[in-house]
Amino acid sequence: MDKLSELENQSIYIIREAYHHFNKLALLWSIGKDSTALLWLCRKAFFGHLPFPVLHIDTSYKFEKMYKFRDEYARKWGLDLIVARNEEALARGVSCEGNKLECCNELKTNALKQAIAREGFEGLLLGIRRDEHGIRAKERYFSPRDEQFKWDYEDQPPELWDQYKSQAAEDTHVRIHPLLHWTEIDIWRYVQRENIPYTELYLSCEGKRYRSIGCKTCCSPVASTASNVDEIIAELEVSTTGERDGRAQDKENTYTMQKLRALGYM
Amino acid sequence: MQRPPKLVVLSLDGVPHGLANRLMDAGHMPALAGLCERHGRPRMMRSVFPTVSCVAWASYATGRNPGKHGVFGFVDRRRGSYDLTFPNAASMRGPNVWEILSDHGKRVFGMNVPTTYPPRAVNGILIGGFLAPSLEKVAYPPAEAAYLRSIDYRIDSDSVIARESKKDMLADLAVTLANRNQAMLHYLSADCWDFFHTHVMGTDRINHFLLAEALRGESDLADGFYDYYRKVDGAVASLLDVIGDDTPLMILSDHGFCPIKYEVQLSRYLVEKGWTTPAGTIQSPLSIDPAKSRAFCLIPGRVYVNLRGREGAGCVAPEEYDAVRAQLTRDLLDMLDPNGEPVIRCVVKRENLYWPAGQHQPDDANINAAGTPPYDLAADLIAIPHDGYDLKMGLSAPQTFLTTQLEGMHTAHDAMILTRGIELPEDELEIRQLAGPILDALDVPAGEELDLAQVPAPQGVA
Repeated sequence: MDKLSELENQSIYIIREAYHHFNKLALLWSIGKDSTALLWLCRKAFFGHLPFPVLHIDTSYKFEKMYKFRDEYARKWGLDLIVARNEEALARGVSCEGNKLECCNELKTNALKQAIAREGFEGLLLGIRRDEHGIRAKERYFSPRDEQFKWDYEDQPPELWDQYKSQAAEDTHVRIHPLLHWTEIDIWRYVQRENIPYTELYLSCEGKRYRSIGCKTCCSPVASTASNVDEIIAELEVSTTGERDGRAQDKENTYTMQKLRALGYM
Repeated sequence: MQRPPKLVVLSLDGVPHGLANRLMDAGHMPALAGLCERHGRPRMMRSVFPTVSCVAWASYATGRNPGKHGVFGFVDRRRGSYDLTFPNAASMRGPNVWEILSDHGKRVFGMNVPTTYPPRAVNGILIGGFLAPSLEKVAYPPAEAAYLRSIDYRIDSDSVIARESKKDMLADLAVTLANRNQAMLHYLSADCWDFFHTHVMGTDRINHFLLAEALRGESDLADGFYDYYRKVDGAVASLLDVIGDDTPLMILSDHGFCPIKYEVQLSRYLVEKGWTTPAGTIQSPLSIDPAKSRAFCLIPGRVYVNLRGREGAGCVAPEEYDAVRAQLTRDLLDMLDPNGEPVIRCVVKRENLYWPAGQHQPDDANINAAGTPPYDLAADLIAIPHDGYDLKMGLSAPQTFLTTQLEGMHTAHDAMILTRGIELPEDELEIRQLAGPILDALDVPAGEELDLAQVPAPQGVA
């Protein structure tokens, strides 16, 4: 079996395990390439029809092209799409122009907390991968979170011989990461093989493309001439920069700036 | 406690030599004064240039000149761009004393020392300080967060509070100090330490916001200032109680302080003089138009030539470098305050301040505009102000000379150090050299790569 099929098999196994164990399961769809690939795998796992809802945490600051893409494929694929927004925080005018840390916390974390409380989800499928970021390398396929969303990475269940811990205590939920073992280039090769749709933000426009997408306020494109999937793969084969380099890693910087400003350093 | 540590360091950020003496003489710091009676008055010690805590503590911790550890200020530009970045222990080069000692099997502890966040892995515990964003991230090993949370430990006092109310600041400082003291005593008895260093940041904060008020005296806030120092002395007393009379001890500050006359918006001055052209919209202190800006600056007094081939979009040709620096120096020295007083004491060239890899002193011959990392990121000129002129950036400030809630600014010549059972080099002493006596006290050899030699202050500074 080729490598992509092996990756696919492993992921579909985990997705079906998750569906078997959790009555209330949802897929967290960010509209990015990874969670869209995960959505594709879920559709394959259940022969084209998703037996659980798809949850989009909408900060209201996503790219127009992402909203268009979301609505188009929610319709085409007959998804049970739940859009979750922290309306209270948005009404207060929370945005990243004020405090980025607060913005992410309110519009992403708290919006998700509210959605989990409202819908009673016990398991959430996420498209994160180990190679994205150092801290994600420590993740498990089935990763428990407490009611405060705290992840205790020093106390995680072992996952040996494909045996997964999928029991969740009250007030907790389990995050399931079927793509954990994939790499960025695996995703693009799979997109290429399966002809999975993706937003054109990933393609070069005037010499730049987005390698990782989120809120338009906090993403920057990277220099690139790649105008199709083949060219993206060719570029990644020789790239030495980090996938998330264009993402505002500056939540901490914003905190730092506030502290320095108060002391007159900025 | 199983046995006292083999060496204890207590650092009080930004306590000037003169102020320490005055506080002792006035009876505000009896524990410190008692120590002096037996072991002599504090010595004066030189800080770093430009005089910023993160640079001073990075030099202390690595025993290296900033040209080698690469921390030149709280803010820097990303190599090859005008984007701001914030140097911390992750970008600092070279092992710190905790790591060096760990490599020799010593048990080490550090708490709250600037530029130790993010904490590196050591044989012991290292708790970062100022600019660490959360208890979850502040400590190595991370599990220490649980204890710190249990005592409501505060990484730092909140200067936003100080901007709004100095009275509230005093309360905030008191709680932060009390928690620090509690954590210090807890950790002192928790292990058999070889090296135990606790840092107090609040002394710097209170000097920033209340120094002038305290020197004027006779107000509630001035009383609050002296009361805070009495609390600091209380922490000294509680430390001495636990470690006894014989444990080798070092109490030091990293720089001095003086009252502010003006906060000087140096970027604005460079704009007035035609060196810097701001971008259409100013979003950061470096929102400049690189095609039209021949020079720019970062806080405090770090002036950069926008050199082609080195900067993101440099417009000064390498052959113009010397002439541009000469003219910039003249313009900086010509700067006068609204009363006609000169602002800048001297302007030092990078090669007279920063040492490139392989050198243990300034290298005049090394007038390379490029240089090897991290030396290459150093400012081309460092403007050192007369006392009272606090150099800021202020690209979009309304005017060049401002006064704000800040009352004190750093000075380089008058840090202080008091030791017991530790041999210090004689003559002039600089904070960078302290790694020598620390390693020596613990019988750990100081590598040849460390910059432990005494060198005179750059010309014009004294």
